[in-house]
Amino acid sequence: MSRLSFRPRPLDIHKKLPIVKSVKDFEDEDTPTTATTTSTRNSQLLRLAAEADNEGGGGGGVQQVTIKKSVSEIPTPQFVVVDSYERDYSRTFSQPTSYLRGRGARAELGEFVEYDLDNEDEDWLVDFNNERKIITPEKLENLLFKLEVLDHKTRERAGVITPTLGSPIPVLLQLEAAYEALQSLSVRYAIFQSVYNYWKAKRERWQKPVLRRLQPPPPVNDTNPYNVFRPREKAHRLHTRRMQRRENNVQSFEKLRQVRRNLDQAKTVLEALIKREEKKREVMECEVSIQRIQMKYKNETQLIEDGLALGQFPCKYASSEDDFADSDDMMNSRQRVRPASVHNPIFTDSKLVMVPPGRLKQELRSQPLSHGWLHRKDPNAPVFLFTRPVDPEKLAAAGIRPPSDPPLENGGTAPLFRFRGRIGRGGRIIFDRCNSLLQNQIGHDITSFVPSDSRPPHG
Amino acid sequence: MATRPAAAEGELKPESGGGGGGGVGEKKRKGGALPLEVGTRVNCRWRDGKDHPVKVIERRRMQGGGPNDYEYYVHYTEFNRRLDEWVKLEQLDLDSVETDVDEKVEDKATSLKMTRHQKRKIDESHVEGHEELDAASLREHEEFTKVKNIATIELGRYEIETWYFSPFPPEYNDTMKLYFCEFCLNFMKRKEQLQRHMRKCDLKHPPGDEIYRSGTLSMFEVDGKKNKVYGQNLCYLAKLFLDHKTLYYDVDLFLFYILCECDDRGCHMVGYFSKEKHSEEAYNLACILTLPPYQRKGYGKFLIAFSYELSKKEGKVGTPERPLSDLGLLSYKGYWTRVLLDILKKHKSNISIKELSDMTAIKAEDILNTLQNLDLIQYRKGQHAICADPKLMERHLKAAGRGGLEVDVSKLIWTPYKEQG
Repeated sequence: MSRLSFRPRPLDIHKKLPIVKSVKDFEDEDTPTTATTTSTRNSQLLRLAAEADNEGGGGGGVQQVTIKKSVSEIPTPQFVVVDSYERDYSRTFSQPTSYLRGRGARAELGEFVEYDLDNEDEDWLVDFNNERKIITPEKLENLLFKLEVLDHKTRERAGVITPTLGSPIPVLLQLEAAYEALQSLSVRYAIFQSVYNYWKAKRERWQKPVLRRLQPPPPVNDTNPYNVFRPREKAHRLHTRRMQRRENNVQSFEKLRQVRRNLDQAKTVLEALIKREEKKREVMECEVSIQRIQMKYKNETQLIEDGLALGQFPCKYASSEDDFADSDDMMNSRQRVRPASVHNPIFTDSKLVMVPPGRLKQELRSQPLSHGWLHRKDPNAPVFLFTRPVDPEKLAAAGIRPPSDPPLENGGTAPLFRFRGRIGRGGRIIFDRCNSLLQNQIGHDITSFVPSDSRPPHG
Repeated sequence: MATRPAAAEGELKPESGGGGGGGVGEKKRKGGALPLEVGTRVNCRWRDGKDHPVKVIERRRMQGGGPNDYEYYVHYTEFNRRLDEWVKLEQLDLDSVETDVDEKVEDKATSLKMTRHQKRKIDESHVEGHEELDAASLREHEEFTKVKNIATIELGRYEIETWYFSPFPPEYNDTMKLYFCEFCLNFMKRKEQLQRHMRKCDLKHPPGDEIYRSGTLSMFEVDGKKNKVYGQNLCYLAKLFLDHKTLYYDVDLFLFYILCECDDRGCHMVGYFSKEKHSEEAYNLACILTLPPYQRKGYGKFLIAFSYELSKKEGKVGTPERPLSDLGLLSYKGYWTRVLLDILKKHKSNISIKELSDMTAIKAEDILNTLQNLDLIQYRKGQHAICADPKLMERHLKAAGRGGLEVDVSKLIWTPYKEQG
């Protein structure tokens, strides 16, 4: 493109492009001359030619010069007229008015002698004839041709024809059989025998048929670059998706079997994978349970040490998952804590009362609420995980007082709330408001946190 | 030009009279003794009478010469490989044999400093026309095709010098010249064999259907499967003039379109192109060749145009198989330029690349490359536009060269190839 500072959008071949008749329209836009762009975009050949000629001029000039240069680099082919041409090629062709139709290959018609004597044959014939003209070259040609064809038929009948050239191809045609088959050529036996022997010896040297049409092609996997015309499988057709082109042979069958095997193996692998993942999940759940039990156990012992345990199975706290199912159950209000947060071992050593997150749902339900809760004598004892008891004197010293009761909506001033202070997560000081509905539970120092939405509490 | 003294191996002869030298006395030659090693770089006298740098590719003992008499197969480094040939020692300027110092030179094109060997490699690859092959294939290709085997052929009226190696069967390794029957393309080692063959060969035109006839020009379609020997013969012949043609696979899957000039002696092949029966990459042409005696007469462009006419009849877009030879690329660029610019000159309203492609059967990519190389696609005011300034068009059209012989579509009688049963 003309500007190198920005890249134009790629050209959409389906979009109609305006045809602008005047170059001036482009020149207004300050595009560089064609010469530069030509030289930045052209093939190496043109660039080389441009350099060679030190041409930097206008676009058309470069084009012309480059074509001339490349033409001059391509040498004129050398050829001469053959002087015997007029004699060798007879003027016997008359073109029919209708277009010529091809006939089958001459081999199929069987009459034409496809074989031409080569240097060896001619030299042998000269020797054999020894100035006496025993057989003419045409006769020899015919004989050799027929011998080749007969041998091919013999090998066919014996079933030894190979589609590609693998091993040496021996002569199977016997002298007697050949002579009998070629009686119509009326050749004297002795002469025939000489020709046969010569031909057989030649075959032994060549290790393959002498007539090119009968020579099998090299195998497909032959990598010798001097061997040519390997048979090509009709791979083209297989690549097209049209059904009628699909091959139905042993190779396709094998391939399909292989596909099936692969799919079966894939299925097995996937099934094993699923099992593994399920096992992993079970392992995970077990670990979680273990942790919970451990926490509970630890907490229990701590509480016992702290003298807070009341002999009941104290700790039944739901995990957050269970919470969501039971969030409306006021009777079984429970703490919502994230199980993960329990795993921090630091806190187990502190004086905090850990509220273990795990709990056995069934047990809690079966027991009355009073048993289900940790009875703490100290109303200031923290209820949430990681919380510390609040020291009212310290708070007062810092100037923090519990908030006063807010006025009632209808104007009454009955103290409906009692505030409980605690230190929450991150060291915040929190005064929980106890719901009037649950006043009876205040003594139990409950703060039920009933989220209106199902999100777990965040600190 | 001073005659070059022939030197026997190891022996240094004093320079005789004439050019440059001093008097009597041994003069040490640069670059070492004879016979020259393969890979030697030296100057050689070419057919134009001037010296050109060559690299020795092969050597062999001369027939009937002494034990130290060699011939050398050389590659002219300035030219395409088709000019490689066997030369005699006399043609080589032994004073110019290069010593192996790899000096630093500056490449003018890029202003980079590099060694002489590196620069040479780059320069030579430019000329070769092998840019589209990757390095490994190129090495492999050059390795086994490095020496031409057949140097000359006789085909019909002409005796032609070949350009490249062709993998004839090993039985033909002992000859430098082959004689082709111009109709069935069988090849023989001796003239008498060809003459004998001509007396029995009844073919007067390519074996196949004539699908086009206009004046003396005819086009024949030959199925590689039905006429396998002919197809193979044609490939052997064509390979002599095509560098990158590969004969690795059989001709079964190809169709051959033979272009002929007809007279009372028969339909004489002047060129051909091959085409896959089924191409996945939408190639509408595999190999294309105009025989050397008939080049520069417009036949090549006719073949290209014909290949696109077939594509139009098939209702498909097509593109030639890559890599294209240097001549091939020139012809195609000329064709694309002429066809596209002819349309743009006359077209009134907007046009999309896709529409151009549908009209011409030329692949959109080729259209885009052509227009961009001619600088006819400009980007302005946020969108692309095609410049069709008449003066500019004329300039490009002139540079693209004349059109070839025209294809008269009304004379094409043809249905697309269909697989039989």
